[in-house]
Amino acid sequence: MLRARGLVKTYRAPAGPRIRVLDGVDVDVRRGDLVVIAGASGSGKSTLLNVLGLLEDTDAGEVWFDGERVSALGRSARSRARGRFVGFVFQSFLLLPSLTALDNVVLAARYVDRGGADPRRRALGLLEELGVVERREHYPPQLSGGEQQRVAFCRAVLNDPPLLLADEPTGNLDDANARVIVGALRRRAAGGGAVVVVTHRPEAFAPATASFRIENGRLEGHILKEVAP
Amino acid sequence: MRCYGFTVAGIAIGVAGLTALGGMSERIVRFIEGGDRFVLGQISVAGRGLGMGAGFTAGGLLPASAIRSIAEVPGVAGVQPQVMLPLNPTTSQFMTLTQELVLGLDLSVPTPNRHYPALPVRAGRFLNVDDRRVAVVGAAFASSRGVDVGARLTLEGEAYEIVGVLERTLTAPDRFVIVPIADARAQWVAKDPMLRTLLASGAAAMRADDLNTGAAVGWRAGEDPDAVARRIAERVPRVNVQIPSELSRQLRASTVFFSALLTGIAALGLVIGGLSVANTIAAAVFERLRDFGVKRALGATDAQLGREVLTESLAVTLSGGIGGIVTAIVLGGAIDTWVSRGQQLFLFSARLVAGALIFAGLLGAVAALYATLRVVRLSPAEAIRRGA
Repeated sequence: MLRARGLVKTYRAPAGPRIRVLDGVDVDVRRGDLVVIAGASGSGKSTLLNVLGLLEDTDAGEVWFDGERVSALGRSARSRARGRFVGFVFQSFLLLPSLTALDNVVLAARYVDRGGADPRRRALGLLEELGVVERREHYPPQLSGGEQQRVAFCRAVLNDPPLLLADEPTGNLDDANARVIVGALRRRAAGGGAVVVVTHRPEAFAPATASFRIENGRLEGHILKEVAP
Repeated sequence: MRCYGFTVAGIAIGVAGLTALGGMSERIVRFIEGGDRFVLGQISVAGRGLGMGAGFTAGGLLPASAIRSIAEVPGVAGVQPQVMLPLNPTTSQFMTLTQELVLGLDLSVPTPNRHYPALPVRAGRFLNVDDRRVAVVGAAFASSRGVDVGARLTLEGEAYEIVGVLERTLTAPDRFVIVPIADARAQWVAKDPMLRTLLASGAAAMRADDLNTGAAVGWRAGEDPDAVARRIAERVPRVNVQIPSELSRQLRASTVFFSALLTGIAALGLVIGGLSVANTIAAAVFERLRDFGVKRALGATDAQLGREVLTESLAVTLSGGIGGIVTAIVLGGAIDTWVSRGQQLFLFSARLVAGALIFAGLLGAVAALYATLRVVRLSPAEAIRRGA
């Protein structure tokens, strides 16, 4: 489903040489995989996720979605590919404060022509599944962190994307809410989706299909542990 | 539109400023245009020398013999004797642009002004040829004194009944008191001790119809009014003839200060209103940088985002624009009512309102487009980071 080769990403430092955050990273993720990437703060794991999801350009390297070389596409074509293939769950939820919980979820359908059932009905079904349907008319500031992340998860999967990228999805949550989100991600992978999670708490996602640690811009050790989904 | 309250309010303030300044500018423009239109509609003639006259007929006495001579000049279509006096000689001379004047008209002769053959009456009627001790007053005069048709007016100790009130013209006649010429002559004699002394001495052989401060002269169809005016000056001795085009030039030259002022006001309005609108819209877009990053993460293309931002910006700008225009009109009306005592300081014409809306909409669209282009150049991750 997702293939990346030779990803290199550097940042300009305020002083001194450029910082090489990714230094030739290769990644393969199949449908049904739950891949966990761990690493210390500043190790480049969020950058890797952004690059895999086409949220950020690389200095070198290629990314393929289902065999299509998406890293070579222009800006708008990349946006369309992102909408078609990828769902994102962010650590800070990134819900739009001016929209209700339900409208935040439905927003995902605005830019992707998916067809099928009415997006509002689908969104209500997902909010029900995640236990926040009662809060559908509330605005993000009126929701707890756990509720916001559940709404954000619903938004990420509304278009049923084959790839779900989650950046520290439990980083701002208490244990109970973290378990809800981990369970939802695990069910997503079990249902045939490809899920990549970056986290500094990899144990929360065990057992995973594959776990990696990013160090010095590289995925060190590659598959540390492989468990059948 | 939940979070756009402050943006709409910000734009409304800018557009209100733009519209209010524009309204003042329009008012001055209309005043100058009205005066220009009046002087280009007739040839104004006064007697040579200084005298009591004011306004367009300022100058010396224009006797009946001179009026007959003018009427015989080839190309002249009609001559209407007039008496134009300052209503209050102690103060009227100081502010010529807002002068209150008494205008006496000889109604046995049709008004020769091509652009104002009849002054429009809002209430009551205009003067008739047999009228005495009646007056038709301008809109600003009536408004400032709170008088209407049927009210009494005392001029030089004599009571006059107001039989008509003119429509607001936004130029000189708004402050006129128009009376039959015989009444105006009586007021002139009452106002001017020197004239009384002269008449009483019998030194000058004068009849009532010699007491004119000037005359409005019309020209035949196909005649060049400037040429007719020059012909009058050549053939009739001891008269001051205003050449219409020269008078128009003089009028414009005398209002050059106001023209510069209104240009400044208009430029200031455009800059203040424009900056306010552009800044508010651009700030509103940049404020939502994170939201745009999220939308692009969800798959929004440049075109989709551009359309969205443009539609929102236009809706916000037009809401703010309409709010601003309404605010300016309400405030302008209140100021006109409470501060200016019948004078109209603001004119919110259709072209001003449409212009302000179009200007705000265009500027809002340009600002939104500029901001959107800046936003879409950022990667979604960068937009989210910067907007956090």
